[in-house]
Amino acid sequence: MGILFTRMLSSLFGNREARILVLGLDNAGKTTILYRLQMGEVVSTIPTIGFNVETVQYNNIKFQVWDLGGQTSIRPYWRCYFPNTQAIIYVVDSSDTERLVTAKEEFHAILEEDELKGAVVLVYANKQDLPGALDDAAITESLELHKIKNRQWAIFKTSAIKGEGLFEGLDWLSNTLKSGGS
Amino acid sequence: MSGHDSKYFSTTKKGEIPELKEELNSQYKDKKKDAVKKVIAAMTVGKDVSSLFTDVVNCMQTENLELKKLVYLYLINYAKSQPDLAILAVNTFVKDSQDPNPLIRALAVRTMGCIRVDKITEYLCDPLQRCLKDDDPYVRKTAAICVAKLYDINAELVEDRGFLETLKDLISDNNPMVVANAVAALAEIQDNSARPIFEITSHTLSKLLTALNECTEWGQVFILDALSRYKAADAREAENIVERVTPRLQHANCAVVLSAVKMILQQMELITSTDVVRNLCKKMAPPLVTLLSAEPEIQYVALRNINLIVQKRPTILAHEIKVFFCKYNDPIYVKMEKLEIMIMLASDRNIDQVLLEFKEYATEVDVDFVRKAVRAIGRCAIKLERAAERCISVLLELIKIKVNYVVQEAIIVIKDIFRRYPNTYESIIATLCESLDTLDEPEAKASMIWIIGEYAERIDNADELLESFLESFPEEPALVQLQLLTATVKLFLKKPTEGPQQMIQAVLNNATVETDNPDLRDRAYIYWRLLSTDPEAAKDVVLAEKPVISDDSNLLDPSLLDELLANIATLSSVYHKPPEAFVSRARTAAPRPDDEEYPDGGETAYSESPSHAADAAPAPVTAAGTSAVTHAAAKQPAPPATVPAAAPVPDLLGDLMGLDNSIVPVDQPTTPSGPPLPVLLPSSTGQGLQITAQLVRRDGQIFYNIQFENNSQIVLDGFMIQFNKNTFGLAAAGPLQVPPLQPGASARTLLPMILFQNVSTGPPSSLLQVAVKNNQQPVWYFNDKISLHAFFVEDGRMERANFLETWKNLPDANEVTKDLPNAVINSVDATIEHLTASNVFFVAKRRNASKDLLYLSTKIPRGIPFLIELTATVGIPGVKCAVKTPSPELAPLFFEAMETLLK
Repeated sequence: MGILFTRMLSSLFGNREARILVLGLDNAGKTTILYRLQMGEVVSTIPTIGFNVETVQYNNIKFQVWDLGGQTSIRPYWRCYFPNTQAIIYVVDSSDTERLVTAKEEFHAILEEDELKGAVVLVYANKQDLPGALDDAAITESLELHKIKNRQWAIFKTSAIKGEGLFEGLDWLSNTLKSGGS
Repeated sequence: MSGHDSKYFSTTKKGEIPELKEELNSQYKDKKKDAVKKVIAAMTVGKDVSSLFTDVVNCMQTENLELKKLVYLYLINYAKSQPDLAILAVNTFVKDSQDPNPLIRALAVRTMGCIRVDKITEYLCDPLQRCLKDDDPYVRKTAAICVAKLYDINAELVEDRGFLETLKDLISDNNPMVVANAVAALAEIQDNSARPIFEITSHTLSKLLTALNECTEWGQVFILDALSRYKAADAREAENIVERVTPRLQHANCAVVLSAVKMILQQMELITSTDVVRNLCKKMAPPLVTLLSAEPEIQYVALRNINLIVQKRPTILAHEIKVFFCKYNDPIYVKMEKLEIMIMLASDRNIDQVLLEFKEYATEVDVDFVRKAVRAIGRCAIKLERAAERCISVLLELIKIKVNYVVQEAIIVIKDIFRRYPNTYESIIATLCESLDTLDEPEAKASMIWIIGEYAERIDNADELLESFLESFPEEPALVQLQLLTATVKLFLKKPTEGPQQMIQAVLNNATVETDNPDLRDRAYIYWRLLSTDPEAAKDVVLAEKPVISDDSNLLDPSLLDELLANIATLSSVYHKPPEAFVSRARTAAPRPDDEEYPDGGETAYSESPSHAADAAPAPVTAAGTSAVTHAAAKQPAPPATVPAAAPVPDLLGDLMGLDNSIVPVDQPTTPSGPPLPVLLPSSTGQGLQITAQLVRRDGQIFYNIQFENNSQIVLDGFMIQFNKNTFGLAAAGPLQVPPLQPGASARTLLPMILFQNVSTGPPSSLLQVAVKNNQQPVWYFNDKISLHAFFVEDGRMERANFLETWKNLPDANEVTKDLPNAVINSVDATIEHLTASNVFFVAKRRNASKDLLYLSTKIPRGIPFLIELTATVGIPGVKCAVKTPSPELAPLFFEAMETLLK
């Protein structure tokens, strides 16, 4: 049975793991999200100087999730990870309204990248548990998501601490990837 | 070229690197691992695979230990070449340092220490801190070493983070291996620091002594080395320590043995009880002897160390001379060292045995060894008075076998024996003279000649013997020439007959006129002088009684010996050189000059050249010019150095030498000829009078260096000079003093000048209008150019801080830049030196790409400073000169001066 299933999957995916980048400004919650997805628990994190990579199995799809450090000094090196990426999870700290502009600029800079032309975009409006967090509509507005052309995208309200919204996003992602969105 | 040809530039073929890149990014773990292995292989054979940095680093987070190790290996190698990207590895290190597997934690912390990239060092402190307090001793001991590595990269960081204290705490760790590594790390840090960091207290002492018995052999070496630096409070404590350490002498590892010996020797200094010392010496002998049964390489190291030990404490091995007898199959380097120790250990008691050995060695085949053996016999003769006769008889036996190099070596040592025991063994001279013809080595020849000269009165045909050497005098090496000279003088003094007189004349002639060797020439002149002034005095000097020699040729200076003994079991004790003689260490603890505050602050650190900090004294300009000018102007008598060698005493040589000044050209100053000055008034316009002149600076004052040349047919006299108003108000400080000039004669003088006398207004100009008159001709007007560098005052040196301050305080508008196409800097140091001599003082320098930037300062009267920045590529003409000064209007003049100075 298992073998049959694997075959089905490989026929869908061309025998590839899905390579996913988790990007976003520093302190957006990328590492927490990664480990919440992988282990299902909240780990205490320190700023990521470099990267984390974990394999997440969900909906019978293997996601190879790369969580890249979001500090200004490391952002230039994101591009080293762009090739062969199927999807981007862009994490926004919804309570950090002051830096939404920066988040928007970084986001659109990523979308400009040639190497990411085919990648689908999933936006997590994270930290919904915090007071004063903007909702998905407001984030959509601030990030100017409506400007996205020729690309599939979605936004979800999430709270990595509470574990809300993450898997809904992943559901969307797996469905989109399966339907050959990439 | 048609448009289609562009295809040649885009190849469809993939190179090795893109292929590897693809494999590294493969999702299959095996393929990935293989790819990393390929990368490491390429790296090992020297291919540059640094462009794969991110791809390899991306393989770093894996549970596969083998793959992880490979990636770490790659990182150690390439982090330095990709310092920016190295930051991507930080998070993985942090993660790995918290891995449940202690091997991975240790691996991470070890690798971190090997990555010498400033940018990421700081991030590694937290993991290191954690690992130093890890539960697992393996991790702790690895982290301890990492602190030492980090100290080498950034000492300040280590101190700020309190790692030194943590490291000191580790000395009390319950795991002996951790203790040993903490000691090793602290010792290394101490070596790199000028401050006392690691000092053993009585508390740590007991910890170390306990750990010593439990830790591995190499750990023992570290602890013993540290203990050898400990100064015990009193003899009792020293005895206690030694007692605890003595069992280490039995260790199978020779490093442990030597370190234990070192430690015991150090503590023995404090022990007063002779019994204890004797006992310890007895205990140290067997382990040292055992070392000589190891491999030849270890034997050599042991022998070099034993050499030192024997010099300090001969009693330890006094009864063990037999183990130093050379075996036929010992390598030559071991044999040589053994010989050396045999000589040291030779005594009246064992000399017969030793001589038998030496004699045996003298008949072996290896020439160097044979020579050394022969020499050893001679050195024993010098060392042991009672055995001298036996030694000489052995030497004579060896001479009889007529092997050329044996004979020569024997003669060399016999000369020393003669000096050691004067008037005792001269009967053998006849035997020596038989071998005279076979001598062909300089040292042997020189020795023989010395013997002939010294005992000329006892050798009937001494003059003939010497004469045979004299024929080839010019071809002989300097060593032989010097001896020949001395020997001939001795012969002449002892036998002042006609033969020797002719000989000495020939020799002195050869040694003075026909030689280029200053040593020889000087010695010959001294003899010559001596002989011609007072032959009796010459006798007293030349034939004076010589001090008796002793054989100390291979003994070390006591302070050096002590230093080397403290470094037993290191390279230092093998080389017999103190560590600082061959190890260069950057003192990382020294604070770095902060470059941010500098104008144009760059990324490279400034370096001050220390050689110029000291020479603040004003240096006079070209010496030749000075001496020539004073000579002409002041008409001083020649310096008294050239005392004419008057020969009032009726002496043996006076008539035949014809001693006069012409053959004694000692210290005579060169004939006055100054550097050419620019011609300002050619003789064609000056009716035969030519005037050349230039402003110069001498000893802190400005002079007008002026020369008159009379090419006319009449005598010119009554010279006077006047300067027109000029920018700097230059004027003559006194009347021009020029003697009447005969036709064809010339005169040069230095006219002192003063400033700010008749200042002209208007924009600054370098024009200096001069008028000169004399009694015979009309007034001559001519123009000179004021060269600003004559105004640079001696106290223009600026400290860096002052320089910075001044630079900042001056408005940017005061900065003027100019390219000096004709200027060139051929060597930064030489240029700095040259500029310093002209009162342009060095402040700092740095490199920017291929360019060198020099910061200099100078000052002109009334305290106007010039802050200078020179940019140039060494060796290529063209210097960019930027100057900032309160008087930017003087900049054009300044640039002219700089261009002149930098030509």
